[in-house]
Formats: sequence, C-alpha cells, structure tokens
Amino acid sequence: METDVNPQPVQEPVQSVDLVVSILAEFDSAAITKTYEELRALPGPLRIAVLENDQRESLAPVSSAAPEGSEDQKNAVIFHVSSPSAKPRGNPGVSSVSEAYQSVFAAADKLQARGCCVIASKHESEKPGWIWQLAQPLFDKGVDLVLPHYARRKFEGLLNNGIIAPLIRALYGKRVNNPMGPDFAVSQRLIQTMLEVRAGGNGNRRQLLASLTSTALCQNLQVAEMHFGARVYSPTDWTAMSSVLADVLSPVFLDMERNAPCWQRTRASAALPSLGEPRYVAEDKVDLDIARMIESFQLGNRELQEIWGLVLPPATLFDLRRLALPAAERFRMSDELWVRIVYDFALAHRLHTISRDHLLRSLTPLYLGWVASYAQDLKAAGASSPEQRLERLSLAYEAGKSYLVSRWRWPDRFNP
Amino acid sequence: MWQQVKQALADSTAHFLTRLARLLPGLAALIVAIVVAIVLAWILAVVARRLLTSLRFDERLGRWGSASLGEWSPKNSPTILVSRTLAILVIVSGFLIGVAAFDFDWTYWSVQTIFAYIPNVVAGLAIWLVGNIIARFLARSVLIGAVNLNLQYARFLSIGVKWLVIVLAVAMALEHLKIAPGIVQLAFGILFGGIVLSMSLAVGLGSKEFVTKSLERDSKKAASELRPSEPVEADPLRHL
Repeated sequence: METDVNPQPVQEPVQSVDLVVSILAEFDSAAITKTYEELRALPGPLRIAVLENDQRESLAPVSSAAPEGSEDQKNAVIFHVSSPSAKPRGNPGVSSVSEAYQSVFAAADKLQARGCCVIASKHESEKPGWIWQLAQPLFDKGVDLVLPHYARRKFEGLLNNGIIAPLIRALYGKRVNNPMGPDFAVSQRLIQTMLEVRAGGNGNRRQLLASLTSTALCQNLQVAEMHFGARVYSPTDWTAMSSVLADVLSPVFLDMERNAPCWQRTRASAALPSLGEPRYVAEDKVDLDIARMIESFQLGNRELQEIWGLVLPPATLFDLRRLALPAAERFRMSDELWVRIVYDFALAHRLHTISRDHLLRSLTPLYLGWVASYAQDLKAAGASSPEQRLERLSLAYEAGKSYLVSRWRWPDRFNP
Repeated sequence: MWQQVKQALADSTAHFLTRLARLLPGLAALIVAIVVAIVLAWILAVVARRLLTSLRFDERLGRWGSASLGEWSPKNSPTILVSRTLAILVIVSGFLIGVAAFDFDWTYWSVQTIFAYIPNVVAGLAIWLVGNIIARFLARSVLIGAVNLNLQYARFLSIGVKWLVIVLAVAMALEHLKIAPGIVQLAFGILFGGIVLSMSLAVGLGSKEFVTKSLERDSKKAASELRPSEPVEADPLRHL
C-alpha cells in the first residue's frame, strides 16, 4: 500500500483540544508558518487548535503530525479550525477587538479546551517558543490568567501607563503592568466565568477586553505576568486621539461601575507572580515636541471650562487655570491633580453627568497636558527608563483612592 | 303718542332683559368654569412642582446646557416656570370652555377655531424644544471636536452650529403656527444663508494654516515612500 510522503493537513472534525491558539495580530505568512512550526515542535500528546480565517490564503500548507495512536506521535497535533469571526484589521477599536476575543472564548469553550492563548500584537523580537511560554503556566502552575509584561520605552503605551494600569492597581490591589494585554493566556475556568458574565447580561460585548483582568482579580483567580520584549505599537493618529480615549476608557469606567463592591474593599497593592526574565530595550534619544500638547491643553482650558465645570470640583478647575499660565518649560501637572481628574471623570461617567461620549472626548486636552508634563519630568530627571516615574504615579493613584471612594459613595456631597 | 313711546320703551326693555336673561346662564357657566379651572390649575401646579423638584429638573436642565432657561424663569427656577405655564394653560382652557357656554354662533366658532389651532401650537413648541436640545448637543459636540483638533476658532464654530439649528427650528415652528409664512421663509433664507456664508469664510480663512500643514505632511509622506532610504521624522509617542 503506497504511503503518502507529504500528508495533507488534518481536516477531521475536532471534538476537544488542550489549547486553543488564536492569532489576531496581522502576521505575514512567514511568521504564521514559523508559529505553526513552533507549535508542532511542542511535546505530544498536546492537542492544539489554531483558529484561522479565510483571509490567510497565502499561508504555506502545514503538514500534520502522524495520526494519533501511531508510535511516531512525539509532537503536538495541530488542528485548523475556522475562526468564527474575522480578524480585526487596521487600527481596530476596543469593541471590535473585544468581539474577536469573545468569539475565541466561545470557540475554546465549545472545544472544551483547558486553555486559550490569544496573540494580538506584534513583537519587535521574541525568542522561539514564546507563545508556548505564555500558555505553559496554565498547565504547569494552575494559573488562570497570564498577562504580558512588555519591555517599554518611555513614550510607549502612554494611555496604559498614565491611566489604565495605575487605575487597575489602585482599584484591585494588584500591580498589573498591562491589564488590557492584548496578548493573553486564559484558563478554562476563567473562560467559563467570562462567558457566564456575558450570558448573565452583567457585561456587554465591549467590556470583555477591559473586564478580563478585573474579573480574574475580583474572583480571586490565579493571575501571573510573563516578561516579553518590546511590542510594536501603532503610530499616533492625532486627529483620532479623542476617539481612542473614548473607545478605551468607556469600557474601563463601565467595568469599574460593575465591580464597585469589589474594589471599594481593597487597600494596598501587591505584586503579581512574575514569570520569565525581565527584558529591557535600548532607549532612543528622542526629542519630543510638547508645544503642540501644551497648546491643546491651553485651548481646552479656555474653551471647555463650561464642560469641565460639570465634572470637576472648583479646586481642580482653579489648579488647571493656574497650570495654563506659565511658560512651556515650566509646565508641570502634579500626579495628585491628574489622579483627581481621572477619578472625577470616572465618577461623572457613572453618574451620566453629561453624554458619556462628550465626557471622555473632553478629557483629551487634559490627557495631552499630562503627557507633556510627564515628558518634561523625564527630561528634567535625565531618566532613560520611565519605571521610577510611573511607580510614583501609581502610588499617587493608590493614595488618592480614598478621595474616589468618598465621591463614589456620596456623590451629592461633593457635587461641583 | 305717549302711549306709543311708552310701548316702544317697554318693548325694548323687555327685549333687553330677555336677552340679558338668556346671557345669564352662559355667564354663570363662564364664572363656574373659570373658578373650577383656577382650582384645578392650582392643584396641577403643586403636583407638577413637587414632581419636578423630586426629579431635580432644574439641575438636569443645567447639565443639558439649558442654564439660560433659568435666567428667563421666575426666581431662576425652570420648575416654577413649567408649573406656572401648566396652570395658565388650564385657566385659559377653562375660560374658553366658559365662553363656549354662551349660546352664540360666533362664540362657538371662535372657540372651535382656537381649539383647532392648539395642535399647531403644541407641534410648534415641540419642534422648538427639540430643536433647542439638538442645537445644544451639536454645539457641544462641535466645540469638543474642534478643540481636540486644535482649532482656535472652536467656540465660534460651536456658536455658529447652535444658531443654525435654532434658526431652523424656529422657522419650522413658525411655519407650523402659520404666522406670516412668506416673511418667515424669506427671513429664514437670509439668516441661514448669512450664517453659513460667514462660517465658511471663517473656516476657510482661519484654517489656511491647518490645510497647508496637512498638505505638507501628505507630500512628505509621499516623498518618503518614493525615497525610502531617507530618514523620516518620526513621532515617538505611542498611546495604545
């Protein structure tokens, strides 16, 4: 009987797998082929389903492992499974990425997978087998959620560093560096929890990416961080800055409202278990043009007082007006002021003080003011790494939590 | 002759008294209708004031950007304005019902005409109110959007958009009320066209620099794609 030298990929219907891997990042076909080869090199009898969609037509054919039950089954078995949703293209919003995650979780649940790994970003350089490094703690250490800890340059991931990460840290008491991934490894237990939350109507589609970490922390599940190299960020589109802010912060604030009973109890923060070796990147000596950002802040200060006055207390408004006066080189927004602003906006979002879209878009000049001040601080300190500066900011968020809790519980008392 | 004069006087007096007597039930009905309307108006005003106070109507209106309504209101309170308006409407309705009680054709016709006009008034008011709300919402959207684009004339754009929508809403409301339709149409056309023209001039002249910078940026990007070996000035900021 002739044997087929080059066996075709396995197309059998898949009942259950150990791991589901979904690649949402826009990898070229060479990168995807390399990923498949790395996965195939993993030890058997691991069964891995890779979610794919029709867009990847140029993918080189991947040969399957030997059929199960054969003596040569030393490698993992890879199954190609049609992805239930299309890959987000270009610069997708949080909502479309959350939809993709939702579909991946549903597929993993259907395949009764013990874990799920989502790769949604490109990295500048990674060691071979890094995808398995992300997923391995789910199997070896019983971790429910593995978050990435990217090596960062000082002006990368500013929205995460300035608002999301320190906010999550102050709220839930865990020092998470990248609570919104976007690369994750999730256990079956957490997948089912997220799907139950979705089915219970307590969450909506947009919240999955924003609520994954907070749900795991509130449910006291095992969360760990894995060190990676630097990731590739999309370039800044200054015309869409306010849309990005609104798109990212709205689900974060909605999630904050949903988890209020959980985060109001936490006090100090603790570090997460860290996996892998810390990675560092060389800093480029860049000279940032902060004049544009300060100009945007000053224009917002002049024209948006009427809107900010509905959200911020008089003391904060006074501090902002004073901030707009000095020359650019002396422009400094204190951490305490920035933290109060973020908390006040979170509260206004909850109270529907004004249209939520207007509220978050009006935060843009304030955010740009903070970025300019942060850049000035780093320049003045001659710092090549932002870690110390961001640690100070995180401590300010923790210190300001009592202000948030008071305003959250008694909004009328502090109503501006 | 005196007999004839006396007879004429007696006849006209009798005629007058007969007609007065015919008016009396209508007059009594008018007085009763007004008194009942006043009582009902008072009750309705109290209920409306309590309801609106519990809903924090004044505060919410302020947040929706209608703070100027407070300036027109008695004691700076839109709640009092609404409750008094409701009361006045009830009293006017009672008056009209009382007037209709007079058994004259012209009173009946007048009341019928007034009542037939009320739906137009309601529709006109609704259009004006909705127009105001939309105007303020759009003005705020334009203000925030223009500030985020670093446009120095953001406030001017916002006011222009607000008045465009308000003028449109008022013109539509007046057309519903059938008040001097020809003049309203002409005035609306002139006002609307004037506002649009002045905004176009302001945007066109004011954003020359913005358009120039945008075109320069596009041409640099195109040039760098043709000559990839030349370094391009990169923005190091990455937000997400």
